[in-house]
Amino acid sequence: MHLLKELPELVQAGVIPQDTADKIQLYYRTKAGKPQNRLLLVSGILGALLIGLGIILIIAHNWDDLSRSVKTVLVFLPLLIGQLAGGYTLLKKQKNSGWRESSATFLFLSVGATIALVSQVYHIPGNLSTFLFTWMLLCLPLVYLLKSNFASLLFLAGITWYAVEGGYGKQDYTYWWLLLLILPHYFLLCKSRPESNFTSFHHWLVPLSLLVGLGTVASQTEELLLICYMSLLGVFILVGYSKFFKSSRFSSNGYLILGYLGSAGILITMSFKLLWENISRAELNILSPEMLAACFISGVGITLLVVKWQKQQVISLLEFVFLFFILLFALAHLSALAATIFTNLLVLIIGLTVVRAGARRNNLGLLNAGLLFITALIVARFFDTNMSFVLRGILFVLVGLGFFLANFYMLKKRTTHEA
Amino acid sequence: MKLSIIIVPAFILVCLAQLYVPISMIRNREAILRYGKEFKFLTAPIDPSDPFRGKYIVLNFTQNIFPVEDASAWPEDKVIYLHLQTNQNGFATISKISQAPPADTIDYIASKVEYVSHHNGRNHVFFQFPFDRFYMEESKAYEAELAYTASQQDTTQQTYALVRVKEGEAVLSDVLINGVPIKEMVERQRQ
Repeated sequence: MHLLKELPELVQAGVIPQDTADKIQLYYRTKAGKPQNRLLLVSGILGALLIGLGIILIIAHNWDDLSRSVKTVLVFLPLLIGQLAGGYTLLKKQKNSGWRESSATFLFLSVGATIALVSQVYHIPGNLSTFLFTWMLLCLPLVYLLKSNFASLLFLAGITWYAVEGGYGKQDYTYWWLLLLILPHYFLLCKSRPESNFTSFHHWLVPLSLLVGLGTVASQTEELLLICYMSLLGVFILVGYSKFFKSSRFSSNGYLILGYLGSAGILITMSFKLLWENISRAELNILSPEMLAACFISGVGITLLVVKWQKQQVISLLEFVFLFFILLFALAHLSALAATIFTNLLVLIIGLTVVRAGARRNNLGLLNAGLLFITALIVARFFDTNMSFVLRGILFVLVGLGFFLANFYMLKKRTTHEA
Repeated sequence: MKLSIIIVPAFILVCLAQLYVPISMIRNREAILRYGKEFKFLTAPIDPSDPFRGKYIVLNFTQNIFPVEDASAWPEDKVIYLHLQTNQNGFATISKISQAPPADTIDYIASKVEYVSHHNGRNHVFFQFPFDRFYMEESKAYEAELAYTASQQDTTQQTYALVRVKEGEAVLSDVLINGVPIKEMVERQRQ
């Protein structure tokens, strides 16, 4: 913390009185919590995580020398230790987050280890999705009973894996019910500890899980999934811009970062004509799960936009780019070429807008992000064989010059201001 | 504290559920191993691994198809019942498949239709046995595969899975090469 280091100097120079300096010091100390407690919490979770994972690996070795009955007894050892630790925490250490988090983490992993070992001893055939489902369901209550945030993160990771194993290509939507079961904990966490690290991790893992989980919707009209993804990323950007995230760090705003990167990735990918041609040939089933999901997610996005518009808040281009994408999708069915041209134009406009915003706010990061976006578009065009080498070469030189000049101009502007 | 009146019993219930799942898995399998009828299934193993359960050998059974007349009557993932018989060499064969549990025999296994394919002029239902993994100590799984490959070179050797069957459920108890458990075979080769 720079400010705390500067305090003695500020007091000495008479800028602030000692009283204010003490108050500032007290404020930051209370805000950060006791460093010792945090260290204990992190080492407790790490310890439980490593021991739990170690037990799974030791079990996976499959000890031939042990008889079936010995193995069966050993199966329950980690589970019982975990349950005892959990019980002790509830009775004696309920207020100690280190105990709560580490006992929940250990118990979480030992439940998985126990089921895995039983499957191994009895050669139960591999169905990873059933295993993950049982494991997650048996451990969900730990999140609420032991109030464990790390168990919640493990649960989110587990159900996301389950979505891929059990939901992809199988029309199985159990993942969504499991996700609903963890959301109350997430909302409570956001409300009670909006600035904590655990909340930040959730802000990353929840949108990542949603993006992966969306794949479970795929059935016959997979092309429509593009609208689902684009709208979901649009919703992420809208959430990332919301009042809740206004005071939080950029790095903990997983919604905004994933929304930006995802939308940019899809738009650059869709700047190729071939992809729009494929979409134009696709037959769209109105009642397919993809269509229903696309309507639902876009509906959520539009509602958020309307609310924002009614509150007369500033809406940036990236927040409603998903609406343009829906129009482009419809246009592709009339002309793939037109959709391709408009996608390229859209990417260019977004890139230029970001560059302009960067220049206005004197923000080098934003300026270069915009330039990178335009460069990505040009690199993508580099692979289009129907463009002449000379033209591609000129474009590259121009963008290179753009990078150089824009940064030079910005740095010069800063030096003038400072002088 | 008032809250712990609910939380502690709830935690005990969760613990019981966490114990119940593995215990019921064990009880069910033990019952089959103890009271089920034994069958030998001819097989062909290889050695992959599972992130949680370790190394195992995959068992590909020689008889994993059965001829049917109407392909549309056997949709993918449909639960089917494989009726078992023992041939003159002492190995299990499938005498019939049905969509309902058989009333005339207790020797059957529940399985699922993987797909139906047309070959050799007939439709065939492809299915998987509910015992396709044999977990082994990690150092032995690869050698078990080598032992199997060696046994394949010699046509007089036979690899088979020993399976106990009871009321449609099956538990794999061992994999043997010419009557010698594959674990023992690996140990013998090490000497």
